Amino acid sequence: MNFSSSFFAGILWTALLAPAVAGLPQGQNSQAAVSQLGAVSFAGVPQSTQTIVVRVDSVLKKPPAVSLKKGDNVTVELKDPSAFQQGTQATFYTEGWIFGSGVAVKELGHEFNAGGASAAGAGTGETALGYTQEQISDQELRDRLNSADFVVIGRVTDVHRWTVPKSATPRRVSEHDPDWHEAVVQVQSVLKGAQVKGNKVVVRFPGRNDVAWVHSPKFEKNQQGI
Amino acid sequence: MKALAAFWMRLLAFTLLALIAATVLFEKQSPPKTGVGGDGLPSAGTLGPVYASQTQVKLVDLIPASLSGEANQDSEPFLAIQTANPQVMVASAFTPNPVSSTGNAPVYVSQDGGNSWVLNAITPVPRMTCDITHAMPTGENHPRGDLHAGTLACAASITLDESESNDVSSSAVMNVQSTRSNVDQPFVRALGISNADHIYVGINDFNQPNGRTATVDVSVDGGATYKSFSIEARNTAGQDGPSVRPAVAADNTVYAAFFGWRKFNGKTATSDVVVVRDDAGGTGPNPFQALRDPSDKLPGRLVVKRVSIPWSNAPTLGQERIGSTLSIAVDPNNSSTVYVGWADRGRKGDIYTLHVRRSTDRGLTWSKADLPHTTISNATNIALAVANNGAVGLLYQQLSGGRWVTHIVQSHDAFATVQDVILANVPANAPVQQFLPYLGDYDYLLSVGNEFRGVFCANNSPDLADFPQGVTYQRAADFNTKTLTDGSGNPVPISIDPFYFSVPVIP
Repeated sequence: MNFSSSFFAGILWTALLAPAVAGLPQGQNSQAAVSQLGAVSFAGVPQSTQTIVVRVDSVLKKPPAVSLKKGDNVTVELKDPSAFQQGTQATFYTEGWIFGSGVAVKELGHEFNAGGASAAGAGTGETALGYTQEQISDQELRDRLNSADFVVIGRVTDVHRWTVPKSATPRRVSEHDPDWHEAVVQVQSVLKGAQVKGNKVVVRFPGRNDVAWVHSPKFEKNQQGI
Repeated sequence: MKALAAFWMRLLAFTLLALIAATVLFEKQSPPKTGVGGDGLPSAGTLGPVYASQTQVKLVDLIPASLSGEANQDSEPFLAIQTANPQVMVASAFTPNPVSSTGNAPVYVSQDGGNSWVLNAITPVPRMTCDITHAMPTGENHPRGDLHAGTLACAASITLDESESNDVSSSAVMNVQSTRSNVDQPFVRALGISNADHIYVGINDFNQPNGRTATVDVSVDGGATYKSFSIEARNTAGQDGPSVRPAVAADNTVYAAFFGWRKFNGKTATSDVVVVRDDAGGTGPNPFQALRDPSDKLPGRLVVKRVSIPWSNAPTLGQERIGSTLSIAVDPNNSSTVYVGWADRGRKGDIYTLHVRRSTDRGLTWSKADLPHTTISNATNIALAVANNGAVGLLYQQLSGGRWVTHIVQSHDAFATVQDVILANVPANAPVQQFLPYLGDYDYLLSVGNEFRGVFCANNSPDLADFPQGVTYQRAADFNTKTLTDGSGNPVPISIDPFYFSVPVIP
């Protein structure tokens, strides 16, 4: 399970934990209080001393697919249950675990709310969350730029099927055949890497709408971007 | 006075009669349980020279309530049932991690015999698998294991992981035991023997030399080690077809079926349907050579020769692609009886036609023609299973009148007489496909005790008319308005969902 899955926040100090969630592209953020220790909130979740049930006071952010609203009970698998008591209010940073009639998540970190949650605090939390999301978005872009060998701004001028050279590995027939295509990109400026001869680069991409490639970019003529 | 009393008595009696009649009528027309629970409804649909039967069908949409807002194309389902405790089951589909593109791809877990399901993100693949099958033989005796899975990761290099979980409800990610690339469509079957799991993974392995790609990976130590065996003995068109399907009997007999591609022109494969057998669980140095074809004396019995199989990696049968649907099933208590089913071009005008043949002499000879009622046009996703009492089950999905109709057929006499139950009859033009496969390159059927259990995918519109045997939705759905909601009252578009079902084996 990767760290960057989701986070579930119980109180309002999300901004204070911004560095800890800087890699979290999406998730859940709610206000909640501990209602049961050593318990689970729905069948199908293994109960242990590390599981607690928290009641959601408000939802600040969540993936659209996940049904979670004020008053719902959520199971949290804690790293250190000794730090929690019934009634504790805290901000939990978590990743998804089990989805059934309710939601169960695994704690990545937490922050206690010494003063208790409040309606006014929820607004502060939303502001902090917005700031955090901006940071996450900027960090994601920085990460992508750092991992790329070559970054340009340009426009797609042509898209065509790639003809596999005869010297290449024998063609294999599979439902997952990528059906490679090529997009010719007219370079407007180079953000990273050396200058390009002729100001054109070719980007090879899978043209197939198979499940293996559904999340891969599909380029079209006249698209512009980084 | 007497006349007046008699009039009132007659009126009272008539009113009572009318009330009773209205109650009966109301009960007959009422939707099953709350509109979301059709569990245990009678009324099996029947076709042809069949015997009608009141069948208790359990049909459950696997999407859990807490994911009511999802609208993914959760296609290509699979199912594993724990041998020691059939209340525990694992299902899968092309369901992404609900919250993250980097989180682990999930599986569905039931611990109550399929009445309820949860999603647990434990596969070793990020986000979503692009092929997954599994089995739970429990030779190693874990209460909520042992799940053995074959998964393909959707990445630039498609990678096979053969992995294991000892507790499918825990948060522990499955342990990868073997991995390699350049393969297609892993298909896992397994058998628990004493304290070791025997695992058989059918794979189209492009690493095999000379294009003899039909392969079975065999592990007799619970997945700790695997050996790969090509089961193709003949020259191919550069490779075999994607589907390689093992079947395992309790006496350690292992069959495998595959498409031996002899020619391929990009649109049509000229293919043999080949069955191999091993009588010692694939443990010998040269396994799967017990059957030889009389025509060339080579290993692998040719059930049919040189049939034309259309290959289209684009919407062709409705919104579904076609090219490789194949199933094999062995009688668990009589390994001499084995069934094989596949699809080819069939008759002129058909897009894709299913066929089923049977052998009763351990694969030496096969029925020369399709078994009765098993030549089925415009259909795909064939899945066969044989119950303990010898009844054979046939699951398939047929495009008929602009709708996808999912059938579970049973027979005691090699389909001479059949019970045909329609599980779903849903629009084929909605939702619009997000990717291929639309419903899946396969669905699945198993037998356990006195039940056939299986999984298929279908349009999830909450319309009781689409599910003649009734249906239970875990996700938020309003069967009166035929709409899905996100649990907070907001509408959710229809999509493809995986459905679990069980039906009693015919006595």
